[in-house]
Amino acid sequence: MQMTAKAWAKVALLLAPGLGLILALIGTVIYMAVTQSFGYYNLSGESVFSLEHWAEMLDRRLYFRSVQYSLYIGVLSAVFSVALAYPLAIWLRKPFAGSMLIGTLLKAPLLVPGLVAAFLFINVIAYHGIVNQLMEALGIWDGPRRLQNDRYGIAVLILQTWKNMPFALLLLTGAVQGISDDVLDAARDMGAGSFTRFRKIIAPLSLSAMQAALVIIFIGALADFSFQVIAGPTNRQSMSQLMIYFQGHGRWHDAAVVGVTLMVLALIGSAVLAVLARLLVRGERVR
Amino acid sequence: MSGVFIRNVHMRFGRFVALEDVSLSVAPGEFVTLLGPSGCGKTTLLKIISGFTVPTSGHIEIGGEDVTQVPPEKRDTALCFQSYALFPHLSVNDNLEFGLLNKGMARGERGQRIDEVAAQLALELQLAKLPNQLSGGQQQRVSLGRALAMRPKVLLFDEPLSNLDAKLRDQVRIEIRRIQKSHALTAIYVTHDQAEALAMSDRVVVMNAGRVEQVATPEELYHAPRTSFVADFIGNANVIDAAVLGEDKPGLWRLQTELGQLQARSAAPPRAKEIRICWRPEAAELDGTEAQSIEARLTHRSFQGHYTDLFLDKEGCEFRILVPQVHADVGDLLRFTLAPEKIVLLEPVA
Repeated sequence: MQMTAKAWAKVALLLAPGLGLILALIGTVIYMAVTQSFGYYNLSGESVFSLEHWAEMLDRRLYFRSVQYSLYIGVLSAVFSVALAYPLAIWLRKPFAGSMLIGTLLKAPLLVPGLVAAFLFINVIAYHGIVNQLMEALGIWDGPRRLQNDRYGIAVLILQTWKNMPFALLLLTGAVQGISDDVLDAARDMGAGSFTRFRKIIAPLSLSAMQAALVIIFIGALADFSFQVIAGPTNRQSMSQLMIYFQGHGRWHDAAVVGVTLMVLALIGSAVLAVLARLLVRGERVR
Repeated sequence: MSGVFIRNVHMRFGRFVALEDVSLSVAPGEFVTLLGPSGCGKTTLLKIISGFTVPTSGHIEIGGEDVTQVPPEKRDTALCFQSYALFPHLSVNDNLEFGLLNKGMARGERGQRIDEVAAQLALELQLAKLPNQLSGGQQQRVSLGRALAMRPKVLLFDEPLSNLDAKLRDQVRIEIRRIQKSHALTAIYVTHDQAEALAMSDRVVVMNAGRVEQVATPEELYHAPRTSFVADFIGNANVIDAAVLGEDKPGLWRLQTELGQLQARSAAPPRAKEIRICWRPEAAELDGTEAQSIEARLTHRSFQGHYTDLFLDKEGCEFRILVPQVHADVGDLLRFTLAPEKIVLLEPVA
């Protein structure tokens, strides 16, 4: 059917209430952030085009460390969450006595707000927390050790994985359950062991769910603020933290530069993760 | 070529007995079909042979080696699934190559093996396609090719033709048998379709409620069923109770039935005084000249083209006969004869 101008107008009108609103809201935010990073929407002076804020930011070591740190947290959180969720999804693929209860318990972190989880975790790893008390009681450590705000962000990674793994599990369980028993049995019958079945059958057939989990978790963890503020290292700042810092000091243009960087990183990082996952799983074909 | 030996296999799922003391031997190069109604245990037995299920007790030997505890990935069998179970993300070529890669076969040999199988099953033009781009018959051929490429000791089939239409089923059935014979493969085939079993097999194993009812050639099963279940399951049969009155002549037994006194010829003596007997509908001869004649009223007739199916009643005993041509209406009395050699003595009445 050939689309006439009238038909196109009708389509646009029908889409406008839903898609239009979304595009308008997102578009406005992106537009504001991008233009502000180039000197427009100046709240305390003249609004003119300027590369000064980008130049200043690109000159800062703090900015690059922040980018590096956020990417580190984003990528590792996504990879760890998916890596942990896969074996659980395969284990829970077929129902067994208690599998529903186990599945529900595993998904419980989805119901706990991130900030609450971070505080609970702090209680566990604090100087006077359960881990230190246990290690002392077992005689493994002589005295309490500093586990909170570690310099490698391990506490943040643990929190991110704990919080995001159930989400990955939710996506992967559905995908893995969609693979027929016969297909897996056929692979086994053709001599494929457990790992080969995962690599050649399960992973490729659940690739879309894996990519979705990786991308969504990556974007969330890349822009982490609450876990970082409570449990993150004190010698590193995440990009969200940096953005809030600039905004708190009235440096809106610098905050916009960090915000735009965050959006670009989310976009590029997601695409790279999705492509890498695809290459890893399907790149070799059967081999 | 390897034979399969199934020895005293029991299989229980909780309190449900799926297989009870099943023993069977399949000779190298033989095509044996496991036939029975749904839930009779035939697929369970096939899964035990392929290694997907470990029996509660009993042993499976393939090529003289006890493989009861050997997992399917290490067992030299290949299974053709009812659903084909092709790997949907892999091309036909990659599907065929899958098992060969797992065997660690060299690239050149793999290519050669795939070319052979593809040529044999007319899949050369489909090698680059994905399974969802193929027709049902082509998918079935890929499934068969994937198994054949492995050159297994034993080829197993789990109702592979049940998803195909009647015409295609006939073609693929012939194809499977041709390939099995040409490679002299030992094959075990599961089906609930008795016509398929009779047409393809060297021997048929009729199963019922987890037990083997009879193991015989298709002809023997049809003409000399051992139990009323086999008689009824393989083709149509008239099965009635009979009391053995005695032996008129050597091998000629006089029986009292609801149809009156009948003579049946059997070299083996009846196994009890109260037994069941059967005869095939086409064994009866309308207005025949034999001495053993029966008169019954026609209750229903069904024209089937080259024969007519007649349903008769004699004092409450209903049965059917098949005759080539008949000029009679419902309600008429018909006389037909039944030769003693056409009557088969079955098991004792339970």
